[in-house]
Amino acid sequence: MALLSDSDSHEVKKLFDGLTRDVRVVVYTQKLQCPSCSDTETILRELGALSERLKVSFVNPLTDEALAEADGIDRVPAILVSDGTHSRVRFFGTPSGYEFSSLLTCIMDAGGDSQVLSAPTIEFLDALGTDLDIDVFVTPTCPHCPSAAVLASRMAAASDRVVASVIEANEFPELSRKHAVQGVPRTVVNERFFAEGSMPEAMFVSALSRAMREAPAEGRVDLSDYL
Amino acid sequence: MIELRTGLVGSGAGSAGGETDLLIAGGGPAALAAALYASRYGISHVVAESWQPGGQAALTARIENYPGIESITGGDLAAALRRHAAAWGASFEASSVVSAKPSGNRIEVVTDAASWSARTLIVATGAAPSRLGVPGEEEFYGRGVSYCATCDAPFFRGKTVMVVGGGDSAVKEALHLAGFADRLYVVHRRDRLRAEPLLVEKLLGCDRCSVYWSSTLLEIRGSDGVESVLLRTPGGEAEVPVDGVFMYVGRTPATAPFRDLIDLNPDGTVRTHDVVHTSRENVFAAGDVTDNELRQVVTAVSDGARAAAAAFELLQRDEGGKG
Repeated sequence: MALLSDSDSHEVKKLFDGLTRDVRVVVYTQKLQCPSCSDTETILRELGALSERLKVSFVNPLTDEALAEADGIDRVPAILVSDGTHSRVRFFGTPSGYEFSSLLTCIMDAGGDSQVLSAPTIEFLDALGTDLDIDVFVTPTCPHCPSAAVLASRMAAASDRVVASVIEANEFPELSRKHAVQGVPRTVVNERFFAEGSMPEAMFVSALSRAMREAPAEGRVDLSDYL
Repeated sequence: MIELRTGLVGSGAGSAGGETDLLIAGGGPAALAAALYASRYGISHVVAESWQPGGQAALTARIENYPGIESITGGDLAAALRRHAAAWGASFEASSVVSAKPSGNRIEVVTDAASWSARTLIVATGAAPSRLGVPGEEEFYGRGVSYCATCDAPFFRGKTVMVVGGGDSAVKEALHLAGFADRLYVVHRRDRLRAEPLLVEKLLGCDRCSVYWSSTLLEIRGSDGVESVLLRTPGGEAEVPVDGVFMYVGRTPATAPFRDLIDLNPDGTVRTHDVVHTSRENVFAAGDVTDNELRQVVTAVSDGARAAAAAFELLQRDEGGKG
């Protein structure tokens, strides 16, 4: 059964007509112990059929461990989006609800020509002396989540030093527990710096930059203390 | 069928700013209705729709009083309003207004993406949930304290939660949470709820729900997350074990950038006359940011339409003056 309604397909096809470059999407799914893999696979197959610019491939991490390891995939379902040069934007969980909107935006960013980050953010990324792992916990019903998820994915697409993971918090309860997620969006950088709620780009980058310079070397750091 | 949301997250990075006949500040129903009407009037315009479009409507689990639509999620209604405006040519920028000041007969508007010189301005920036200011509220935000039941309800499946407030939003979201939580309390400072009677009836009929009447929240307690709340009740202080606290204690209008531009009321709302007119001839206001009493999606879209019509009239007067 199709998961994209006719009107959704029509709308997404119109969006994808705006892609000016190929976008590579690698979908990690498996049949064993992954109840949401089948829906994820269906959604991505249907998306792939809407544009020749979208190159969707499917990988089973159980049979292709080396590739999964190289891409840093340790749970499924996972979706990697890249413009062919970077593979540092990953979505974990079914891309439903508002997470679908984040995935579409990420695809349009990767296949478009427009400048999506402001100059100060690009400066911050270019000056990074350390790698950043940005995890953004989201739920499909959270309207605030796409802006946090997309900001992380845009930063990862713009810098070799950044990896972004957008994680559906309900599907990965152990990970949510580990990071004490009880509200979304929750952004966790390098397992240490965290932000509750969605911050505008300028505010997030400025707080992160200040916290990285001024925060104590150990312990969890709330970015709202560095606004 | 899985629910999928197709709206894209915008970016303000490519915006060059410049001159425009109308700048609409805000991304909720009032701004979107204004954008639709402005597009159909053929007014050159830009919508500074903020970083989180959809406004408070997008955070509402279900809307059942928008005429013509029996029941819809707030997210779907907000998305439909935006799609409709975009289909008629509305022009959006993912930015928020930082400052606005008069310059001759125009308004200089600085957003966090660009600088605009606008002949007319519609302030439709809405309102954000108010903080109660009790101990523990900031400390446990994101760790059991939430202002968005639509976003966070799944984390409280099988748990005990408390909703603070007694208006429409509090009761609507309490009913949404009751679908997840095992036990739900509402704490309200009065002896009756202000919400729509239909919603109150539903809440009082819910067997897992109970109300602390004439009670106030004094403190939120816990260690890693929320563990209990301290209430002042008619019978004295009571500590109630809960896992989560959802706050619906009113809204704070987002008017800070317009403080020196137009008259505001002591509560921060825009002082209006004739529904959408402000103290400045070329600045209009619409939706929850105003002092208009009923704050619903239906009144917000009505305000938005009126504000766009008022801007159109002023721009036409300009044209007439030129001729």
